[in-house]
Amino acid sequence: MSIDGLTIEVSQLTKRYGEITAVRDLSFTVEPGVITGFLGPNGAGKTTTMRMLTGLVSPTRGTATIGGRPYRRLARPSATVGAMFDANAFHPGHTARDHLRVYAAMGGHPDSRVTELLHQLGLAAAADRRTRGFSTGMRQRLNLATALLGDPGVVLLDEPGNGLDPEGMSWLRGLLRGLADKGRTVLISSHVLSEVQQLVDDVVVIRRGELVAAGPWSRLAGPPTVLVTSPDADTLAVTLATSPVEAGTPPRVDIVRPGQLRVHGLNAAGVADLAAAHRLRVHELVTENTSLEQLFLDLTTDPLTTSRAGTP
Amino acid sequence: MTNLIRAEFRRLLATRMWGGLLVAAAVIGGGMIGVMALVGPENFEPPLPGLDTDTGVRSLLGILGYTALVPAVAGTVAVTAEYRHRTAAVTFLFAPRRWQVLAAKLATYAVVGLVYGLVLAGTAAVALFSVAAARGVSLGMPAPTVLALLGRIGVAMMVYLLIGVGMGALIRNQVAALCVVIGYLYLGETLLMMIPGVNLLYPILPGGATAALTDFTYVADAMSEQLGSTTIHLLPPAVGALVLTMYAVTAAAIGVIVPMRRDIT
Repeated sequence: MSIDGLTIEVSQLTKRYGEITAVRDLSFTVEPGVITGFLGPNGAGKTTTMRMLTGLVSPTRGTATIGGRPYRRLARPSATVGAMFDANAFHPGHTARDHLRVYAAMGGHPDSRVTELLHQLGLAAAADRRTRGFSTGMRQRLNLATALLGDPGVVLLDEPGNGLDPEGMSWLRGLLRGLADKGRTVLISSHVLSEVQQLVDDVVVIRRGELVAAGPWSRLAGPPTVLVTSPDADTLAVTLATSPVEAGTPPRVDIVRPGQLRVHGLNAAGVADLAAAHRLRVHELVTENTSLEQLFLDLTTDPLTTSRAGTP
Repeated sequence: MTNLIRAEFRRLLATRMWGGLLVAAAVIGGGMIGVMALVGPENFEPPLPGLDTDTGVRSLLGILGYTALVPAVAGTVAVTAEYRHRTAAVTFLFAPRRWQVLAAKLATYAVVGLVYGLVLAGTAAVALFSVAAARGVSLGMPAPTVLALLGRIGVAMMVYLLIGVGMGALIRNQVAALCVVIGYLYLGETLLMMIPGVNLLYPILPGGATAALTDFTYVADAMSEQLGSTTIHLLPPAVGALVLTMYAVTAAAIGVIVPMRRDIT
């Protein structure tokens, strides 16, 4: 059994439901060893894409492969890929243990793994309770336990943050980081950037079924900008624009309005130090949304907007 | 495949349905036959020939055959529960070759149906023989024939359970599937009989085939009487069994083939 991560490859994937195109000509890759965030507003086609990736939905066109194979052709699917979708996929009359035992048998995983996961996911106390009385958080944990039964090398989680409390979310972050560090492939979808911002290494952003951006977070995020409020704004602007910086070119400064500047190419500490050196007053320093954040904000707040996030 | 069957057994045994089904088999088999034998078919309204006649015993067993609705419903509920509780997606993630899932369900429920049929026939036999003995009636049919008929009823139960599984896999929506299964078995077939010409098909319809299996001619006779001209003849028991099995196999085959390509959302 291989527990190494495999590369996920989505190529020209398209899904049409009658007149509606849910996913259109989508291509991207997800590498092992990093956590990849699959981002986009609600209804962007994230879930449909992930369902096509796992063979639950047949694509109209294009392919989605895991380690070069379509999901349906994997020799041991649940030992290769652990996928989590709906937070509510249990027989209400089954206990958490029953549920896991059914799928352990189905995937050919040992029963010892059931006990192990019940403990690992903090479900030991609720193991023999019927799922009908489970809270959303417990359901989410049980779902995750089901996905992890086969100790898979590829983990696909659709909106794992839904219903998890901050403690659960922080635990999930730790778990996923651990998996990625072991060289596994981790793809998590979310419509809330802040939920995964601190977690993901790479991102794939889609909107209305089409790719908007893909790549390492650090590259897409771009350099931060700093918003400065100062009664000495005019003097500060001149000082900043004429200051030689280590990197070479001096920072670029936009005057937002009297008393407020936006600085590109220098971080908050640099601005503060420079102001202090020239005895200029600074009332407020705000590190602003990175361009990806701005982009994502545009997408989520106005799903009909067609403009990419411009440089502010 | 063994893994899938093991999983299906675990799934079934973890719910309360399993126990309920066995209780139902005993209540319907032992309970219903016991009470009917105690009252005596000669006291029914309209009266049927008594237990001391061949027809009387056959009528009781024929009525027992009509409870095949129960396993049919159980099979339908068991399969549609996967869609109702949305576990189908998880199941197909663990077993993306979907026909194997359905095949495993059919294998599992064939065993369940057989156990159901055994309990039903067994308790019915005990009830029939002991009530007859208590009332001092000697049955109008030799004991081996009674047991053989009960055995056939048991098999019919299994076949109906599989028909239920097939229909459930096909329709997916639990309520709709139950409406179709119950509606057809208790109403649809009777309505079909009212269409001139169609009633000639009765022998090869599920109800007619079940009646053939148990030589229960009550319905066919009533229909022949209404029609006046043509007499409806039931199929020979073995052919009836074959026809019934064909229904189950067809339902099962459809159940195996249809879910293959459907999107699970």
